[in-house]
Amino acid sequence: MQVVKQILRLLLQLMFSRRILTATFYFLFTFNCIGQDCTLLIQGTVSDDASDLPLSYVNVYIQETSQGTTSDDKGNFVIDNVCPGEYHFIFSHIGCEPKKIHLDIYRDTTIAIGLSHTPTSLGDVVIVGNKGTLNNQPSLSVSRQIIEDNPNQTLSSLLENETGVHLIKNGNGISKPVVHGLYGNRLTILNNGIAQSGQQWGNDHSPEIDPFASDKIIVLKGASAIEFGGGNLGSVILTEAKRIEQEPHLHGQVNYSYESNGRGHSFNTRFEKFAPSLSWRINGTLKKYGDRKTTSYFLNNTGTKEANIALQLEKSINDKIFIDFYASTFNSELGILRGSHIGNLTDLNQALISETPFFTEEHFSYDIDAPKQNVSHHLAKAKLKYFITDSQLLDVTAAGQLNRRKEFDVRRSGRSDIPSLFLDQTTLNAEVKYSNEFGENSKFKIGTQNILTDNTNNAETGILPLIPDYISWKSGFFSTLSKKKNKTQFNLGLRYDFEHQNVLTISNTTPREIIKYENNFHNLSGLLSLKYDITNTQSISLNTGYTTRNPGINELYSSGLHQGVSGIEEGQINLKAEKALKITLEYKWLPSADFSFNALVYNQSFNDYIFLNPQDEVRLTIRGAFPVFKYEQTDANIFGIDVSTQFTIAHSIIGTLKYSYLKGQDTENNQPLIFMPPNSLSTSFVYRTNTPLSLSESAKIDNIEIELTNRYVFEQKNILAEQDFVSPPPSYNLIALKVSADMIFSGNKLRFFCKVDNLLNTEYRDYLNRQRYFADDLGISIVSGVNYKF
Amino acid sequence: MQHCCIKNLYLHCTKKIVMFRSSYIITAVLLSMTLFYACDKDEPEIPNEEELITTLNYTLSPMNGGADVELSFVDLDGDGGANPLVTNGTLQANQTYEGTLELLNESESPAENITDEVAAEDLEHQFFFQSNASGVSVSYNDQDSEGNPLGVSSILTTGDATSGSLTITLRHEPNKSASGVSQGNISNAGGETDIEVTFTIDVQ
Repeated sequence: MQVVKQILRLLLQLMFSRRILTATFYFLFTFNCIGQDCTLLIQGTVSDDASDLPLSYVNVYIQETSQGTTSDDKGNFVIDNVCPGEYHFIFSHIGCEPKKIHLDIYRDTTIAIGLSHTPTSLGDVVIVGNKGTLNNQPSLSVSRQIIEDNPNQTLSSLLENETGVHLIKNGNGISKPVVHGLYGNRLTILNNGIAQSGQQWGNDHSPEIDPFASDKIIVLKGASAIEFGGGNLGSVILTEAKRIEQEPHLHGQVNYSYESNGRGHSFNTRFEKFAPSLSWRINGTLKKYGDRKTTSYFLNNTGTKEANIALQLEKSINDKIFIDFYASTFNSELGILRGSHIGNLTDLNQALISETPFFTEEHFSYDIDAPKQNVSHHLAKAKLKYFITDSQLLDVTAAGQLNRRKEFDVRRSGRSDIPSLFLDQTTLNAEVKYSNEFGENSKFKIGTQNILTDNTNNAETGILPLIPDYISWKSGFFSTLSKKKNKTQFNLGLRYDFEHQNVLTISNTTPREIIKYENNFHNLSGLLSLKYDITNTQSISLNTGYTTRNPGINELYSSGLHQGVSGIEEGQINLKAEKALKITLEYKWLPSADFSFNALVYNQSFNDYIFLNPQDEVRLTIRGAFPVFKYEQTDANIFGIDVSTQFTIAHSIIGTLKYSYLKGQDTENNQPLIFMPPNSLSTSFVYRTNTPLSLSESAKIDNIEIELTNRYVFEQKNILAEQDFVSPPPSYNLIALKVSADMIFSGNKLRFFCKVDNLLNTEYRDYLNRQRYFADDLGISIVSGVNYKF
Repeated sequence: MQHCCIKNLYLHCTKKIVMFRSSYIITAVLLSMTLFYACDKDEPEIPNEEELITTLNYTLSPMNGGADVELSFVDLDGDGGANPLVTNGTLQANQTYEGTLELLNESESPAENITDEVAAEDLEHQFFFQSNASGVSVSYNDQDSEGNPLGVSSILTTGDATSGSLTITLRHEPNKSASGVSQGNISNAGGETDIEVTFTIDVQ
């Protein structure tokens, strides 16, 4: 295997660089080790990053030689008989993200290592930057390990298990994240620092981001995300590819997984190499799924296909200037359940009473026919960091995005091949940020973001567009100030956004004519936050944020039939900006590396909250009667609680408990807000072996983990019968079981995992899944995967 | 116009990578920003709505003599805009009519005949007729290529004087072999509705 790896490495060297000599050198070097004086001693201590307490039962091993040990009570470890050479040391511990470091060992060496507990459980991550960044917004994150172990998941569904985060789905291929009850126009998603553009207004449009291209997905559940443009009302989701590690070897990984439900294949590969001249990383993903299955029938036409590539380049010009370039392409084809594609209200009522959806067939198929979506998204970003002095940083980013969305419906006379909706969106982003750390623990930041969006319908559809053609120009300016004094830390932020919209709609009366609209909007946001460290292990933080958001193009000018929901949606041109005041109060307690507790209470009150209000009128068309929904404004309030705790039992079992509560109320009409996430409770227990299993001298099995997860989703009771076509589905409980292990042999790491989702094959429907009107959710599914890293 | 603007920004971007002096970069970015603002959107092309059905005409010719009765539903501007125009009719009691359906797209000039499109895909379409007026019943007078009914041509019979409604539905991709569907029972038909119009009829 060592030889195979070397050959692979060599081939890649040849492919990606012309430095054949270097490659040969590596090849020889590894064999050189043999026969040297192997008496070196490596010792060290491992501690918990957050609490500084020593960590016992940490597995330490050298990747190249498979030599390894486990840390003792005081966090100490010793590895002896090490040959001189360059090595990768891997540290892993229950509940922690594994850490890998590269060291040249030529003499006895002592090292000190800090490990951080998997931030998902602690909700305590440092955002975009180093430890010590003065940011005290509540947040959580999903690590690379979780991304790799869930190759079947989308960006959104990876976040589903986290507190305060939910999913709006349309079947299983299409999902969009909801944070603290807000989604779409109200939630910004940043793809490597760039506000993801695209048709974010649609409930049945998922964000076009490949999670495999990122190393971390972060959710800021803040009161006001001052630094980020894009019209968010407090919460932001960030996906980040980490910097290419500064070590000279070519590294890479290959992931493959198979999922029984949908007979889906996922393949991902990634290679990276650091060099002072230019560091690079390339990531590619392929996915193919066929019809998924409920407990008893196939969901016909729910297959998906995806092909994505991302390229990352980094270069330090000198010690002051750092440049990085990121380009990605995302291409997907998403089938939509045939039986959910219906005509009018009569059809919907029939579908609601039907046990199984119409068009249900008895056989499985990979075919994707209309109705379906073909979506592609391309991004190119260049970023320059200029370290003016040690404490002053200038950050300049320019990016371009192209988003193409085609939606196909079942149409007459062979027109199913012509999209019914065909939108091209070009977005240009330009950003300049300056930050200055001054005095002791003070930081000042100022910046501007500018976004130009050009949205064009293709007339090929032969259907009047739902969203008009427009150009929008957004310009934002912000400034934040953070300061820490003794046990208190405060943040102050202000933001101003200007938006100009130039819109061209087509009249819905005949003869068709073009109506032009010009709008200018001014938005203001402010943030004040305070954090107080009660003791070394406890802290409390209070955030208050005020944000205004002007109505989006869809809210102003939508016009027409929204096929998926069989309703006519109409915008209103006289909508005002909505205003939101959000207050969050968070308490964190981390008494030891074995226990953590986090509670977050939030309340967001809205003036002129924009929502789709079902109208009393029913619109008569030649296709029958359709319900009419109009964008209207009201006053509203969203209140919620997120609680999570994690505890370790006997160094080998880690338990996690997460609870999310949310209540959305229309305070003007004194009725519930529709489409608000139901409450949920999830519990998990992970058992992990503390000692590796030796297979032979050079091969062992390590990090064997068994994880049992239980997720209970409550019934959404906060809704009136007349607010929906059917009452919300009852509560449900899903159990998942996962087994995973790492096999280490001759310097290679092979990870295996197998998980069973919906272990008991429970029949259920989810309130936020639009498909619930027509069909059950997914039945049992077994996912097995393998991951090879070198 | 907007295309030139985009081009300008790209130029500035490429420049940026070449020059590393921050002041230049900021100037370049700010300049591009001002260019954005000057942009105006091109006028969109109005789609050719060839698939639209604006008009349904149901012509009833009495077999025992008398004037034709014409029921029609016309919505020239599609889903939104002005309300559709519905013409109801008065039928003779105890009469048998031969009914002919005609679908048109009158937003085109000359009007497009959609009936032909439906007849060409007869296996994937079926009309359904439902009436709550006692004694009024409709049966099929045509077949698709597999011998199942289509409904472009139908026979309507009336009983004693009464009044009520008549609903005509066109289903796309129905399950024609489901129970009762070939007899005109819509409940098991499935598929999706392309047309559903209701007329008030008086039988005198």
